[in-house]
Order: sequence, then structure tokens, then C-alpha cells
Amino acid sequence: MAGLEIISDQGYRIDGRRSSELRKVCARMGVFTQADGSAYIEQGNTKALATVYGPHEVRKGRGKIQHDRAVVNCQFSMATFSTGERKSRPKGDRRSQEMSMHLRQTFEAVIVTELFPRSQIDIYVQILQADGGNYCACVNAATLAVIDAGIPMKDYVCACTAGFIQDSPLLDISYVEESAGAPFLTVAMMPKSEQIVLLEMNSRLHADNMEKVLDLATQGCKDVFAVLDRHVRDHVSESHALMTAS
Amino acid sequence: MSSTLGVLSDAERLFIVHGVQDDLRSDGRACEDYRHVQVETDVVSNTSGSARLRLGNTDILVGVKAEMGEPDPGRPKEGKLEFFVDCSANASPEFEGRGGEELAIEVSNALQRIFNSRSTLDLTALCIIPEGQCWVLYVDVLVLECGGNLFDAVSLAVKAALFNTRIPTVVVTADDEGQQEIELSDDPYDVKRLDVDNVPLIVTLSKIGHRHVVDASWEEELCSLARLTVGVTQKGTIAGLNKEGSGSLDPESIYEMIESGKKVGMVLNSRLKEALEKEENSKREKIGFLG
Amino acid sequence: MIFCSDTPHLPEVAVTILSTNMAAPRVCVPGERLFSTADCEAGPGTYVHHGYIYSCLAGYMHKRKTEGKELSIVEVIRQKEDAVPRIGSIVTAKVTSVSGRMCKCAITCVERTTLREPFRGLIRKEDVRATEKDRVEMYKCFRPGDIVLARVLSLGDANCYLLSTAENELGVVLALSEAGAQMVPVSWCDMQCPKTGSKEFRKVAKVQLQQE
Repeated sequence: MAGLEIISDQGYRIDGRRSSELRKVCARMGVFTQADGSAYIEQGNTKALATVYGPHEVRKGRGKIQHDRAVVNCQFSMATFSTGERKSRPKGDRRSQEMSMHLRQTFEAVIVTELFPRSQIDIYVQILQADGGNYCACVNAATLAVIDAGIPMKDYVCACTAGFIQDSPLLDISYVEESAGAPFLTVAMMPKSEQIVLLEMNSRLHADNMEKVLDLATQGCKDVFAVLDRHVRDHVSESHALMTAS
Repeated sequence: MSSTLGVLSDAERLFIVHGVQDDLRSDGRACEDYRHVQVETDVVSNTSGSARLRLGNTDILVGVKAEMGEPDPGRPKEGKLEFFVDCSANASPEFEGRGGEELAIEVSNALQRIFNSRSTLDLTALCIIPEGQCWVLYVDVLVLECGGNLFDAVSLAVKAALFNTRIPTVVVTADDEGQQEIELSDDPYDVKRLDVDNVPLIVTLSKIGHRHVVDASWEEELCSLARLTVGVTQKGTIAGLNKEGSGSLDPESIYEMIESGKKVGMVLNSRLKEALEKEENSKREKIGFLG
Repeated sequence: MIFCSDTPHLPEVAVTILSTNMAAPRVCVPGERLFSTADCEAGPGTYVHHGYIYSCLAGYMHKRKTEGKELSIVEVIRQKEDAVPRIGSIVTAKVTSVSGRMCKCAITCVERTTLREPFRGLIRKEDVRATEKDRVEMYKCFRPGDIVLARVLSLGDANCYLLSTAENELGVVLALSEAGAQMVPVSWCDMQCPKTGSKEFRKVAKVQLQQE
């Protein structure tokens, strides 16, 4: 990526953000009527859709049944037109399988699965447009969808990325910054109890810088939480207003 | 396909059949009425053209990507259209994994069928260098929610997305050695558009009892034994015909069904065109899924 | 053109609960700390962690006082009720098959909520009625297609819920005769066809009118 300045001399990034700024987050809960819960989120140009079905009987493979808790089943897929280069298939490749697995682990940690023994909860997420931070958008969308479905959760899960480019930590990495090849960290955390549920980094970063980047990422998660929390509260009072009006 | 959504009791079935007999359906429509259609184009910014369409509870997102490729040896002076349908697990848990594949193939075959005719879309306009390079339009359909009448909704969304498609202008120059070079225009507004006036829409007619209905909801689809999908253009030409479902139809009713399919299809075509042109001329901000 | 969402359908139950609560209800979100366990008791929609009660749903907080208990119960109520059969809940089920030892059915309703998809249920021979359990003949109690009210006994094995109709108020509520007419109950074990006048055996439920 020669010639491309990730951070300008004035300290601005390519899309005009400062280093510790999130992209604009817009969300909506209850997009669909047939699913038990659904949500849509936009984080900058990354757009994700999540639907939740369940809890219901365990469908495929009775062997999966857990006698003391619910099974969480996740599927991650990307629309074939979501990326710059067209993808040949929406799911089933290694990257999406890994994403599905990460999502399952994340949500098994927060959903109160003990309340629904022998049943299954399905979480399906779909990336409609990809511009970096796909996993984060998926987690945030899925959190809203699970809340919309009324499935008990211990806390929200919010996810955010933070990178380390040109000796400074950057929050909420976009696709261009992602492809610059610098290390970046993906963090999913429960913002109220401040517990990290997922931490991933696929590159090399000096241990001294680790703390700075992680601090920034956790701060990012809390910022995302503030936005999501407002949406949820608005959604709840909105449906209440509709209910009393009728 | 709708069996994925649930089952109907005998009483519910009887209610629907009797209603159709009296030209009054359970949601208050008459037999030849469509549900409310909402369409918005240009919703995915990294495609050449896209559209999201909601017909009742059926939700479709279509993205068109124009990429350069080699033309078919049989048709060297034409571009290509490739259809891909993904029935996402979002629509129904049954579609998880490979569960949606069968339905997806059925839908993409139906699209292939109505786009088969040469008069549908001017594919020669997609040619860049004859026998060398051409534009390949990848039309990717994503089914987000399934609330009945999938085929019609998909064809509406595909037409809207093709209407929205913009292909960059290319200039072919030949250098001294006769080698041809393709140059892409840098200006994002220097684009070519497709003429979609002759693109047909699918109208599905479901036989319920002794009558047929258009735009069946999923409950109604469960009551119908046989369906006829008809491709209808704006001028009322029939492009593609297919009988589906386990029941049988007598020729007499097929004529009737084609006739009403034609009537409804022509109205649908002109309404869609109207809506798309209106949307294009208005300077409204994109709403997408946030509305 | 504009996209707009459909108005969500809300069950009446939630409306009554919220309208009786005079004070402006407080909106809670998952993970929100509500009270200390010393002040309140945790009810549905909440969980306890390190001595505090937290919400695990997005909805309205509601405090309920029960007699004989010192602490009031905190619960979080959502608009949309989700229904999973629990032990002791009354379900409506449709009989799908009957054999000598048991009767299989599809649970379509839990209490007052209709399910989106049916759950499988099973009524064993010994759970059909409370008396003379050893003389029960399954074929004289249920027929495929009957609509049955039953109570969930246990979550059962991996395949289905175990149901019981061993109460006067439980059993067949709706049944069609061989002639296809809806039958009228004549005793706790007989139903009569209004068309042909023939009697058929059923474990009939004594339907109670619910007092509102």
C-alpha cells in the first residue's frame, strides 16, 4: 500500500475520522415479522442483518441435545455482492465457518442457556455490505436480535476493532485500513460487567503496545454499547407507546 | 416451499378456499389484487446496481455486479447474464446449510427462463471486444424473508436492480501491433445504463378451488395444488410459462390464467416503471433497512 | 418509496399488566442492575449475580408483592410473550396417533399463546385419568384429530414432552365423529354425534369458563 496515507499529518484518517472515533452506527430492531427476533445494523459502510429463531426443539442431529441447557446454533454468511470482488458462494468457506464458530462461543457466554434445556436457539447473521469490522457488525446486530427475540441475556455483547498503524492506535478499522496490513485486534465484551468474551489478533504486535490497543478497543465497545442501549430503550418505549395507543 | 413455514388446519383451509370463491381473500384483497409493494434501489453501494423489495412479508435484496469476462463461444458478440439465488437462513431455519439450495435453483431457473429470449435485454450492448471481452452481469438474489409469492417478488426486484445498474463506459484502443487495450473511464458519472423496458416480470397464478389468485400469501400457497408462473412484458407478451405444484390443470383454466396473468403483469410492469422513475427523480435520502 | 415497519402485534396479557401499574414503568435492558437481593427477590426475566438482581431481558420492570412473603418479587416483562411448555403449564394439543400404550400429539398452544410451530407431546396410558389407571384403554380415550387440553408433566425424553389428562378439566375438548360432525359431550367418557346420534368413547374434559 505504498503512497496511501492511512493517517494524514493533521491526524485525520482516510474517511475523515480521528484515531479514536467510531464510524456512524445506525440500527433498527424488529426488521422482519416472521422471525422471533431480528435486527439490522450499519457501521459506516458495513451493513449486517441478524435474525434469531427459538428457543425451539433441536432440529438436526439429536446428538447435539444438551440436557441442562440450550444449544446455540450460529450461521454466518456474506451476500455474494457484499465485497468489492464478487464472492462465488455466500457461506461454507473456512472463513465463514470460523466466524460462525466465534459467534456461537460469544453468544453461549451471554445467553442464559440454562433456562431452556433440550432446546435450540438459532442466530443467523448476514453481511450485506462489507467494509471492515464484519465480525463486530455481526455481533452487534445479533445482540439486538437476541434482545428483540426476548431471549434472556446476562448482558449485552458489543464488539469493536482497534488497530495499530503508523505508531498510533486506531479505533474501528475500515476495509482500507484493514488491508494496509497492520495488526488489528477484534474484541467482543460485555460492557457492563467489563468481561471480554472474544479476543482475536492475526498479526504481530509488540507487547508494549498491546495495552494501548486493547484499552482503545474496550473503550470502543463501550461507545458501541451506548448507541445500542439507546436504540433498545427507544424500541421498548416505542412499542409501549404503540400498545397504550391501541 | 411454504411447507417450511407451518401447517394449516382444515378449518383455516376451508375458510381461505371459500373466501377465494367469493372473490374476497383473508386479507381483504380480491383475486387479482397485489399486496403492497415497497421498492428502493441503490441500497448496496459496492454493486453496479441493487434493489430491495418488500412484497407483503416477502423481502428480497438483489445486487448486480458487472465484471469483465469472456463471452460464450456460441454468442461471441454478446455479454452474459448470470443468476445466483441464495435462500438465506434468515428467511427460515430450514434454509440453513444446504437446505435452501433446491428452492434457490428453482428460482434461478425461473429467472433464466424469462431472460432467455433475445429481445429481453440487449446483450450486444454488453460486448466490449467481439470474441474477446464482454461484460458479465452477475445478478445475485438474496431472499431475506419468505412470505409467499417468492417468484414474483424476485422478478420485480431483479428488474428494479437492472434498472438501477450502471456500467462504466470503456474505450477500446488498438496499439501499433494490433493489440487491443481496454480503458475504463475514471469519471463515476460516465456510465451506460440498461434498457429494461422489455424485461418481463413473473406473475404466479395459484389455483385455489375453482378459481385462481395472483400474489398468494403463504397461507394461500398451502391451499393451492397447482401454480402457473407466467413471464409477462410491459407490452403483454408472454415470455416463459411453467406449471408447478403437485396438482393438475385443465387446458381451459390455463387459458384463463394466462389471460389474467397478462392483464395483471402489464399493470405491474407500468407501476414498477413509474415508481422507479419517481424514485430516481426525487432527491430523497436512502433509507434502506432503517426505515 | 419508503419502507415502513408493520405495527408489532402485542398480546393482551402484557397490556393488562402494564396498565395496572400506575407509576411510569422503568425500562430495563439486559445486564442492568436492579436491586440487591436483600431488598427484593428475583422473578422471571431477571438473574442473580454476586448478591444483586440483574435484568436479562429488554422490557419493563415490575414489582409484585405476594402474601406470606416479606420481600416483593422483581420481574421484567416484555411485550411479546414467548412460550415454551414448562412443567405444570396447560397446553392445547392435537392427537396425531394412538397406540395401545400411548397417544402422540402435537402441542399447538401453551396457556394462551399460540405457538409458531408445534412441539411433540406424549400422553402415556397411565396418565390419561386419575382413577382406575390400570383399566384405561387408549382407543376409548383418544382418536387422531382430537383437540386435547393437557398439563405438562415433565420435559420428557429428547423427543417429546410428557403430558397428562388426569384431571376433570383436562381431556378431549373438540372431536369429530366418524360421520365428520363435531360431537357433543354427554358424559365424562362419551361424546355423541349430532348427525347420526351414535356415541363414541372419549376422555372428555369438563370445560371451565374462565373468569376474567
